Amino acid sequence: MTQQAVPRQMEGALSVAGRIGGRDRAKYLFIAPAVIWILLITIFPLLYAARTSFYAFRSGRMLRYVGLDNFRRLLEDEALHDDLVRTLIYVAVVVSVEMVLGFSLALLFNRQIRGIGSLRTIMTLPLFASPIALGYLGQTIFYEIDGPMNQLIRSLGGNGIPWLSHPTWAFVAIMIVDIWQWTPFVFLVALAGLQGLPQDVIEAAEVDGASGWQRLFSVTLPLMTPILWLILLLRTIDAFKVVDIVISMTLGGPGRATELYGFYVFRTARRFFNYGEAAAQGFLLLFIVMLLVTLLWQRIRAIYEPER
Amino acid sequence: MASYVARIQRRPTRLLGDLFVIFMLVIVLIWAVFPLYWGFINSIKFPADVYGSKWIPVLQFEPTLKHWRDLLSQREVQNAVKNSVIISVGAGVVALILGTLAAYALARFRFSHPTNGNLTTWFLSQRVLPPVIFVTPYYLLAREFNLLDSVWALVILNATFNLPFPVIILSQMFREIPREIEEAAEVDGASRLQVFSRIAVPLVAPGLVVSFIIVMAFSWNEYIFAATISLKESIPVPVVIAGAESTRGIDYQLVGVRTTLALLPPAIMALLAQRYIIRGLSLGAVKG
Repeated sequence: MTQQAVPRQMEGALSVAGRIGGRDRAKYLFIAPAVIWILLITIFPLLYAARTSFYAFRSGRMLRYVGLDNFRRLLEDEALHDDLVRTLIYVAVVVSVEMVLGFSLALLFNRQIRGIGSLRTIMTLPLFASPIALGYLGQTIFYEIDGPMNQLIRSLGGNGIPWLSHPTWAFVAIMIVDIWQWTPFVFLVALAGLQGLPQDVIEAAEVDGASGWQRLFSVTLPLMTPILWLILLLRTIDAFKVVDIVISMTLGGPGRATELYGFYVFRTARRFFNYGEAAAQGFLLLFIVMLLVTLLWQRIRAIYEPER
Repeated sequence: MASYVARIQRRPTRLLGDLFVIFMLVIVLIWAVFPLYWGFINSIKFPADVYGSKWIPVLQFEPTLKHWRDLLSQREVQNAVKNSVIISVGAGVVALILGTLAAYALARFRFSHPTNGNLTTWFLSQRVLPPVIFVTPYYLLAREFNLLDSVWALVILNATFNLPFPVIILSQMFREIPREIEEAAEVDGASRLQVFSRIAVPLVAPGLVVSFIIVMAFSWNEYIFAATISLKESIPVPVVIAGAESTRGIDYQLVGVRTTLALLPPAIMALLAQRYIIRGLSLGAVKG
């Protein structure tokens, strides 16, 4: 014990000095495990998938090198194009609805009321709900004969809606599930953002006689812009990734009305065992997501900048 | 003073406004809880009570645990619950170990190539990768390395994809610890590792708990990798639900009991950990 005490003391003094210069070796020991882990578990498999995408597969076995054939098929596959367009519509609709609804609710509840804490607590529940379970639950909630959704509509005097048998309504139904699950996310992040705004600026605007709408558009919104862009980015990426709800609620049907792109890729791999094509399709999705991140990153990096 | 007068003058509309807020509060609460409640009450109903609007157990219908007993007595389901627990807890532990170390490095040391900002972005970018693009390589690699049908493969994958949560939550919390506390300990002769493990880590304990819960909850729900890797012995809860014939169609009680089994544990975890959850999910953008 006593033998170690002296070197340790020196190490301590050294490390304080080393830290300022940024020459500290210990820092690599802290960061290396996670970096190596990610290289091994995500970067290496991605490279492996890149190689796979140049091969033809039959019933799960690698057949032969086919060059860019799998990528060429991306351009020719009309079913894939339909699914891509459908996914874009899906993403555009669910993300806009979630943003507008979530932010409006955050503005509405951004005030001193009793019970706001428990509201926030309860609103985290949907975020942690298993999408697979939600899909099956959705089948019963949207059940056309006597599911609670149609019971509610009928009790309000409407006719029941063919939720899962009509192509358009089935598409609406899976969008409702997404909106149910993720509007709370927009709400909670926006509310936390609103509560973190500098209160003196907003109060100053109030004292200066700015109306509620003026305060919203000329003070609150500009201050919230980076956070809203971040929410938009996270929601858009996640909406592109949706697979589970389609699998459990509609399996892409009726017909192909609810076939989203992620589901298409998943099925190419898991149902048809066409790993080469699935890898190529996956890279198209990765490309779209990366494009979005690159486009939006400039707008949100301000959030992380002060930390650096 | 001016705002006080303005407030008095606005009083009638304020009352209406408050009523509207309360009304919306009720709507929003029902909205958030309804699907979970619907699944739950169906799981404790006798078949005769399924139809008609019966919403309150005991008062409107007699609850039963029959479906729960039936479900939990199936060997397949017991095994799935066991696997899900191993996967969630295992992924939580692994993500927390890797994440805490990395978070401390990002918060306390300065890196130049790549910079701390680059590294943080790189860690966060794991959150962006669509899992479905990994279905092919993970299946083929697992087949090659004899990791098909292994719960440990699923532990590893879930830990990896949820790593951004501990990294972002904890690196922000480490930064909030006053540097002087650690420097004082170093001057007193504590080693780098001792400062980290005896001083810094205990100070971020709440962040550790929340990170652990977030990783556990999302690992519990994960389906795509589970469906890719698990064949028989390693099947977790979401896959067993998706595979069950009885979940398809409209057998309300069976759907209710199976989905509730999947939905309940993460819901309880969400209720337990409130602080920092929003900070973690928003990748540190807000201090919720």
